[in-house]
Amino acid sequence: MIPLLEVRNLEVTYGEFAAVRGISFDIRDGDLLTIIGANGAGKSTTLRAVMGLLRPRSGQILFRGAEITREPAHLRARRGIRLVPEGRRILPDLSVEENLRLGAYTVPRPGDVADGIERAFTLFPRLKERARQAGKTLSGGEQQMLAIARALMSQPRLLLLDEVSLGLMPILVEQTFATIQALHRHGATILLVEQNARMALAIATRAYVLETGSITLSGTAADLAADPKVKQAYLGG
Amino acid sequence: MLFQQIANGIATGAVYALTTLGLTMVYGVLRVLHVAHAGIYALGAYVGLVAFRFLESFWLSLLVAMVVCAAAGILVERFLYTPLLHLPRIVPLIGSIGLFIAMEEAFRIVAGPYALAYETEIRFLSLGLGPLRLTAPQSLIFTVTMLLLGLLWLLLSRSTLGLAMRATAMDADTTATFGVDTRLIVSLTFAIGSALAGAAGVLIGVYDNQVWPTMGSIPAYKCLAIVVLGGLGNIPGSVLASFLIGLAETLLIGVVAIPFPRDALAFVAMILVLMFRPRGLLGKG
Repeated sequence: MIPLLEVRNLEVTYGEFAAVRGISFDIRDGDLLTIIGANGAGKSTTLRAVMGLLRPRSGQILFRGAEITREPAHLRARRGIRLVPEGRRILPDLSVEENLRLGAYTVPRPGDVADGIERAFTLFPRLKERARQAGKTLSGGEQQMLAIARALMSQPRLLLLDEVSLGLMPILVEQTFATIQALHRHGATILLVEQNARMALAIATRAYVLETGSITLSGTAADLAADPKVKQAYLGG
Repeated sequence: MLFQQIANGIATGAVYALTTLGLTMVYGVLRVLHVAHAGIYALGAYVGLVAFRFLESFWLSLLVAMVVCAAAGILVERFLYTPLLHLPRIVPLIGSIGLFIAMEEAFRIVAGPYALAYETEIRFLSLGLGPLRLTAPQSLIFTVTMLLLGLLWLLLSRSTLGLAMRATAMDADTTATFGVDTRLIVSLTFAIGSALAGAAGVLIGVYDNQVWPTMGSIPAYKCLAIVVLGGLGNIPGSVLASFLIGLAETLLIGVVAIPFPRDALAFVAMILVLMFRPRGLLGKG
């Protein structure tokens, strides 16, 4: 079976600095894959390269068998890849509803867009209350809900989640991970990048450990959670 | 006298609004001060005049001028600004000033250094409200401006394309991740802004009954001052500032008769805004 996403020897540099140093991994339909690692390990860089926001120096990215390494971000989005970016990147002067409509830009039928907005409001009732408010007036937690809801508007084939728990209160972190787990149960394929290794390993099916731009460990999430090295470095002993 | 000057001010403000809108839209998507926009405005006047001589219809010539200016705007974006965007911001600005000078010289070489007569017989109803009466040409300018502003508002606030345009101006990278071809949106923004400037050029040509090579010189810097006054990249702010400056110019100089060069007024306003409210009248903090 062809993997949904296949990354081969991906190398991404910022000037002279190699942020990602030839990593390879793949995601199959229905996976909830997590890449854990410390701050600056290259996790966000990897996701941004998969989305097409960064040009890799070398390596290949294949989506459903088709090479997309040089394809611009908007064409990858049309293939069904969506990113919930680090820092959420809500469009500040668009209302909550307009942010959702933008998320549905590739959805052709107006009826499907309306259904999508209803689904988003069912998933996050809080957003319905704030539908007409400008994105910038939302709290951090609400912005995170909007960022996830916005990425789900087109019913993506692959959802890339970049540090979704960063800057959220513990209760909201729990809720966000519960949402991700629910999405996965409903069949979503997810690549989750996290500093919160404990939570990520608890819900993921497979996991990779990224250290200074290289993958050092990989396996099922349960195996990695039990690995002494992972325990010591990422799970606080 | 007073009402006549108000009418003049409204017509002047309307033309400023059409011209500055393109400038503010371009700044919104590329963060470039598009000085050559005034060259597009003069191009619109020339194209409108030529089209009018062939077609003998004001409305058709307006349409032709807008289409030609839209195309010119896309060329400027694709071949001047986009290749320079990765460089420090002074570079596209210098490129823009250079293009503007080149355009003025091109008009001089092609059409001659003198003003060309733009003789149209404007048959248009004369609008009025109480003692305020606009002449037929003023009514035409006001009506065309309001029509174009209305269409632009509908596009930006009511359509998916307009949503993508606003989103691209706020955060192009993020917008692209939802499937929006932001390069195409930037070109489209240039096309629309340039078409509006072309319309402004035609209207001024008709209003003044002439077209001349350096007709863009004063708008080139005055419109920058108006854009700063309204708040860089802020569309309603630009419209408001345009009408304020148009009215202030005609009222202060025409009615109060202060001994002050009319074209300097926009700069006084800009300096005051920069001193006391640097984000502009409607700009965001």
